[in-house]
Amino acid sequence: MNNNLNNESENGLGRHVIQYPDDISFCAGCSACEIVCGLVHEGVSSPSVKRIFLERGEKQSLQHAVLTCQHCDDHPCYEKCPKQDLAMCIDEKGIVYINQDECIGCGLCAKACKFEPSRINFNKKTEKTKRKAYKCDLCRTRENGPACIEYCQVKCIGLSDWPMPEKA
Amino acid sequence: MEKLYGYTGKIARINLTDKSVTEIPTSNYVPKYLGGRGVCNKIFWDEVGPEVGAFDPENKIIYMTGPTTATGIPTGGRSVMTGISPNNLPEQYSWSGIGGWFGAEVKFAGYDGFIIEGKAAEPTYLYIEDGDIQFLSAKNLWGKLVHDTQNKLEEIHGRDVNSIVIGPAGENLMRNASITTSNDNVAAKSGFGAVFGSKNLKAITAKGTGAVVPASAEKVLELRRRMANPLMDHKPLVVEPGHSIGPANFAEAKGGFKKAYVACSHGCNQHCNMLMLDMKSAFKDEKVNHVEKCVSVFAFGFEEDVPYGGPGDTFVTEKNHTLACKMIPREGGPPDESDEHFGEMFNFQRGDKLDFWKPDFDKGSVINDLCNEYGVDKWDVIVWLLPWLSMGKKEGVFDEIDLGMEIDVESEEFVKYLLDMIVYRKGYYGNLLAEGMARAIRTLGKEKFGDTIYQGRYSQVTGDRLDLPISLETAWGHCVHWQGRGFEASMEKPAWVATNLHQMNSTRDTQTIAHHHDYFKNYVELKDDPCRSPLTAQAVIMGENKAEIKDSVTCCDWQSPDLFWMDMEAQMFEAATGFKTTEAELNEAAERSKLLFRAIIIRNYGRDRNMEVNAIFPIMTYPDPWGQTVTWKEWNDLVDIYYHERGWDKETGWPTRAVYERFGLGFVADELEKIGKLPAN
Repeated sequence: MNNNLNNESENGLGRHVIQYPDDISFCAGCSACEIVCGLVHEGVSSPSVKRIFLERGEKQSLQHAVLTCQHCDDHPCYEKCPKQDLAMCIDEKGIVYINQDECIGCGLCAKACKFEPSRINFNKKTEKTKRKAYKCDLCRTRENGPACIEYCQVKCIGLSDWPMPEKA
Repeated sequence: MEKLYGYTGKIARINLTDKSVTEIPTSNYVPKYLGGRGVCNKIFWDEVGPEVGAFDPENKIIYMTGPTTATGIPTGGRSVMTGISPNNLPEQYSWSGIGGWFGAEVKFAGYDGFIIEGKAAEPTYLYIEDGDIQFLSAKNLWGKLVHDTQNKLEEIHGRDVNSIVIGPAGENLMRNASITTSNDNVAAKSGFGAVFGSKNLKAITAKGTGAVVPASAEKVLELRRRMANPLMDHKPLVVEPGHSIGPANFAEAKGGFKKAYVACSHGCNQHCNMLMLDMKSAFKDEKVNHVEKCVSVFAFGFEEDVPYGGPGDTFVTEKNHTLACKMIPREGGPPDESDEHFGEMFNFQRGDKLDFWKPDFDKGSVINDLCNEYGVDKWDVIVWLLPWLSMGKKEGVFDEIDLGMEIDVESEEFVKYLLDMIVYRKGYYGNLLAEGMARAIRTLGKEKFGDTIYQGRYSQVTGDRLDLPISLETAWGHCVHWQGRGFEASMEKPAWVATNLHQMNSTRDTQTIAHHHDYFKNYVELKDDPCRSPLTAQAVIMGENKAEIKDSVTCCDWQSPDLFWMDMEAQMFEAATGFKTTEAELNEAAERSKLLFRAIIIRNYGRDRNMEVNAIFPIMTYPDPWGQTVTWKEWNDLVDIYYHERGWDKETGWPTRAVYERFGLGFVADELEKIGKLPAN
């Protein structure tokens, strides 16, 4: 894995984390993707800092959807940020990321996200002065790339520009 | 207070009678009592004395997570609850472990655990959200099945809540009622679902946005990479032609059935639970999904017992020590033939021929669904109730019994009728069987309804017919589990004397958290006379201490212990808490927890040697698949050795003052001395 590829594409979505179909790998529902996201970024485990979302199926189904930031080419989250290029930034590879130190916790980026539910984690219950937004940055500074993919025990997620794994 | 890593720092005391909540600092108990069951034991010792019954408001459910819970350390998602068990005979202090996402959610909501006491005036559920605990009316939930309750709570509080709930069995005080998570993980063996019911408590729902901070995120990630050698490869949904353990039990699924593997608890790095998709429901036309781990497979067909792999099933070498979590997803691979002991370790034999019921895929699904939805311990249904009816009918024991429908365990309709009758306590027999098998059989008359010999058991090792009682009861009102006869009987004497010793010292089936493991080199030494070898007792003590650790740190019985990575749990504890901990220090804390448990059952229930030897011995008088039993003398020799190794008095089975003091429990010795429960020396 590496993060050296350009994060732009022709379909309006950038390089992003995808979930494979069940017949390639079935999500074990372990939450490892959510947990390691917080561990590698903040050193904590918390629903409030994860940037990948395991949406559990109806309670009895145990068939889960992994929801991720699609890294849209037109990045409305970036466009709406009042501290553009300070809080919401774009790096040299085109990855939109949040500089946590500068984020003022206004929540406009989360609101601007095209997807429902929003792929930017913004906890309104946090005390106002401590609010921050958390968005997938593809672990852009991490040598092994996205930690969620590295630590997925059944490799049910991968990167959108990888060749689709073969069925067993 | 110094910052605690791993823990959230608070335990809630929740009084259902007066709807009050108070908070207790977790630091009152840790690190000395670790977390989980260690903390539960200390709280129970401090707060619940003798004379309290399981359904009294004075009984408490003490629920605790461990310091690893929600940190991302594999298997830390498991949690534990303790209290007086209605399913034990007699009612005694007991425990029950549970997986799922609930434990992690409780920590995200700000608590390491809670003590539930009193009794609500009307049906109630607790809603815990970010440090706030509310008592809400469960009038609209009462009577609902387990999954309907889970779904309703989601409707009310949102998709991201996690709940533990009871079904109608718990509401109606069925003594083996379970408590169920959203992914069909259960706390079942102790019947705490009925304690919830007795307190008018239908459910506990949690939602949290807080953070759990491990001392070393880097170490957590290292453990994720290492523990139990994670698959780290694709695991697709597949279609299987049918389902069974043992060739005679194979139940064909018409058109096949879809199967996948899922993790049982938050943050695990394994997927040892089988998910069976689009299965027949007992309650509705639409198909449902089931999670299966262990005993459920026998609902689909029970013609023969589990197969025997050889002593290597229990006694391991470095080359051949596959952890249990690799077993169901079949990722363990075949045994390593380069092992110098390979020939002695592996000797496949089919399990006993039992002829309890024929394979029937849909009926098996219905049995499991009934247990899941009513909230009943599957073990008691699949291993005890239904085999009892099957064997008893063949022996003519029930000729004079009228259940209102002909007894026929091959019939799906009968099984549905039976469970409905028991769960809702319909009629004399429904009410009687809801009291649990051990109590029901005593009321009916144990000699006839428990001890009648079933003539249909045949060893597939020797071909001999072997005696088996129609009631597969062992000690403390529980049914057999890896004990050499009845169910999961396919283990030789050196292994089953150990599992029976485990259970003798406890108050319930121990094989959910203390599957017996030992080194093959010890097997070579002890196999000819396992009851006279200190190695047997030492391995049991190791297993018992590891069980305390597993339920306290917390971690899973299917990954722990790894006999070739014995400080794994210490590394987990240290990664979560930052407390420098060696294997020996963690073992010391486990001894302390075990001693507290021992002291509780001595103080509250008069436990002594005579009581426990007599409780466990009868089941071992029936032969194992090789025709082996144990004599009274043999068994007592083993108990002598075990007590000696523990430092307990041989005559009474009571730990001495010196032992209590060695583990920082002088105050326990003082109290026991006052009531005459401390040995003279």
